[in-house]
Amino acid sequence: MHLKHPACFLVLCLVLLGPAAGHGDPLTGPQILAQVDRNLQPGDLEMYRKIINIEPDGRKKEFVLWFLKKDQDKVVTLFISPASEAGRATLRLGDNMWLYIPNVGKPIRITSMQSVVGGVFNNADIMRLDYGVEYDVAHLSEDQGQYLLDLKAKSGTVAYDRLQMWVLKKELVPSRIDCFAATGMRIKTLHFKEVKDIGEGSIRPAVMETDSPLYQGYRSVMISANLKKRRLPDEVFTLNYLPRIKDLR
Amino acid sequence: MNPRLGGFVLLLLMWHGAAVMAGDYDFIIPEAEKKPYELGGRLEGRYIYHRLNEDAARYRLNYHQDDPGGETHAYQAQVELTGSYQWGPLKADLLTHHAYADTYEKNEWHNDLYEGYFSFTPTPHLVLDAGKKRILWGKGYAWNPAGFLNPPKDPDDPALNQEGRTLLALDLIKSLSTGGLANLGLTALLLPVIDNWANPEMGGENALNAAAKLYLLWYDTDIDFIYFEGEDQPRSLGLDAAKNLAENIEVHAELAYRQDVPRVTLKEDGSVKKTLADPVSWLAGIRYLNTIDTTFIAEYYHNGSGYDRDALRDFFAYQKTAVAQWQATADPATIQRAGRMTQPYYQQRNFAKDYFYLKISQKEPFDILYFTPWMTTVVNLQDFSFNLQPGMTWTPLTNLELNFRAAIPVGPANTEFGEKQDIVRPEWWVRYYF
Repeated sequence: MHLKHPACFLVLCLVLLGPAAGHGDPLTGPQILAQVDRNLQPGDLEMYRKIINIEPDGRKKEFVLWFLKKDQDKVVTLFISPASEAGRATLRLGDNMWLYIPNVGKPIRITSMQSVVGGVFNNADIMRLDYGVEYDVAHLSEDQGQYLLDLKAKSGTVAYDRLQMWVLKKELVPSRIDCFAATGMRIKTLHFKEVKDIGEGSIRPAVMETDSPLYQGYRSVMISANLKKRRLPDEVFTLNYLPRIKDLR
Repeated sequence: MNPRLGGFVLLLLMWHGAAVMAGDYDFIIPEAEKKPYELGGRLEGRYIYHRLNEDAARYRLNYHQDDPGGETHAYQAQVELTGSYQWGPLKADLLTHHAYADTYEKNEWHNDLYEGYFSFTPTPHLVLDAGKKRILWGKGYAWNPAGFLNPPKDPDDPALNQEGRTLLALDLIKSLSTGGLANLGLTALLLPVIDNWANPEMGGENALNAAAKLYLLWYDTDIDFIYFEGEDQPRSLGLDAAKNLAENIEVHAELAYRQDVPRVTLKEDGSVKKTLADPVSWLAGIRYLNTIDTTFIAEYYHNGSGYDRDALRDFFAYQKTAVAQWQATADPATIQRAGRMTQPYYQQRNFAKDYFYLKISQKEPFDILYFTPWMTTVVNLQDFSFNLQPGMTWTPLTNLELNFRAAIPVGPANTEFGEKQDIVRPEWWVRYYF
């Protein structure tokens, strides 16, 4: 771990202090959120994700993408299949997002509410940063034996204005997240399932399902697998490098 | 039931049950296995119907020797093949284009190498490219005044591949972790003209062209400084920028300045005025996504070397005079000259001075997945003629894409879109990716 980075230092402190907190004082909302982030996306990594869009009649369409993450604010995805999408790559640096389509030939700036794959997932779901980067814990309570975190977006450029996150107490991973617009309307619900080792000892939900009142009867599923720890130079997470990102796979 | 058959059915049911109980999800992702090579491609079939405006200036110029009547049809079949091979830091990329076009004017084959280049990436800080490669710079959707090396674009079919340029390229990339400047990228290009195979459109034999782009990600804003110059090319300086203002709003702009650009102005009497100009062009645009997934893209474009209302009036009046003379004298030389003289105008996709572009697209209406209907319009703000273009893209099956659009130019006589050759031009095309 690169201790020069303040985020890494903070995570290390939380890990070291976490057990002590467990024996004494109950966990605070920010501590729970930091541990959720660490469990879902443990540091710098690469993994594969399969997105399955399921229509009401049962028809499915699958996308496979390669996912790279560094620090708390750098994410790259590369579509591997189907052939019509292969080579598409997205880059996220904090609130900035770009899409590179090989036929178009240049990266274009996109926003978090757009969707590059159709279906219920939008760009913010696919290129998600740590929750702690984008949200503050507004309130902590308990519901159905789980922690219930009420999260409020730190800025107006975040895809969802407010989240309600149910967190399993033992595993400290989410079981469900309701996503709300600034108007208070529920945009979608994310259901987390199949807690298992998805690679290199990372135990977390391998499946995220989503449904939305905006897409009645439609579901999208994201399966995470083949996780590996990998640290790449910052230059890989740049616009100039995006067209060449598949060379690193 | 035969006991052996019953046993087999029971076994099948048990196996099926076991498969279901193993879970609804398949965690095996075979695509995770990477090969050193990649092969792929795209098949396309396209049909275009032209409902012709027999009174239009362009129709008269194009069809003065024959009479296609009120309509023509065009068919095109094409295949594009892609391939790459990687040896550590060295990689070879290839994109070839093969098309057969059957139009009213001619039937012909095209076999072109669109891209073919080697890349050497010793570190993520440094990339070297050599060969034929597309260069696309600028932030605009409909126009790129600062994209001095860009091939002509079709904003309503962005996935259309285009031919690259032969070049030597150097890319330097640097990320910074402190201050407002997050990323810095310098791209430097050399584009030689060699016989007929390397950039013949960019200058005389052995001419050398140079270009550079400095990219900055500065306070969450993309900024590019662009330079291009050649022995037979005007010195060109460009600036572009793009930024997200909110989770659903993006803004972008381009500014271009070119020195000593030859400009041809056609007078009503057919006389030609040739000048050197230093045009300044610019573009400002916005993309907005609303809560029901409707995307709006709006752009204003000022074409510094474009023609104003009076110049366009002269331009069309000259063509009509030439047609009238040809009809009176039956001398084809008059109209052939008009064809040559109007080329500098018609070679440009939009040759007037000021334009407005609007595209409205709706993602997956009526819960039809992978279906996007859209409507675009390009308005000539000098003569207020415009092109209206409804269209749609639908991917009903994986890797199969269906497209439709219909160009409907609208405007009175002696205006840019009023004098278009087509009254309406619907176009259907199917793409299959493999």
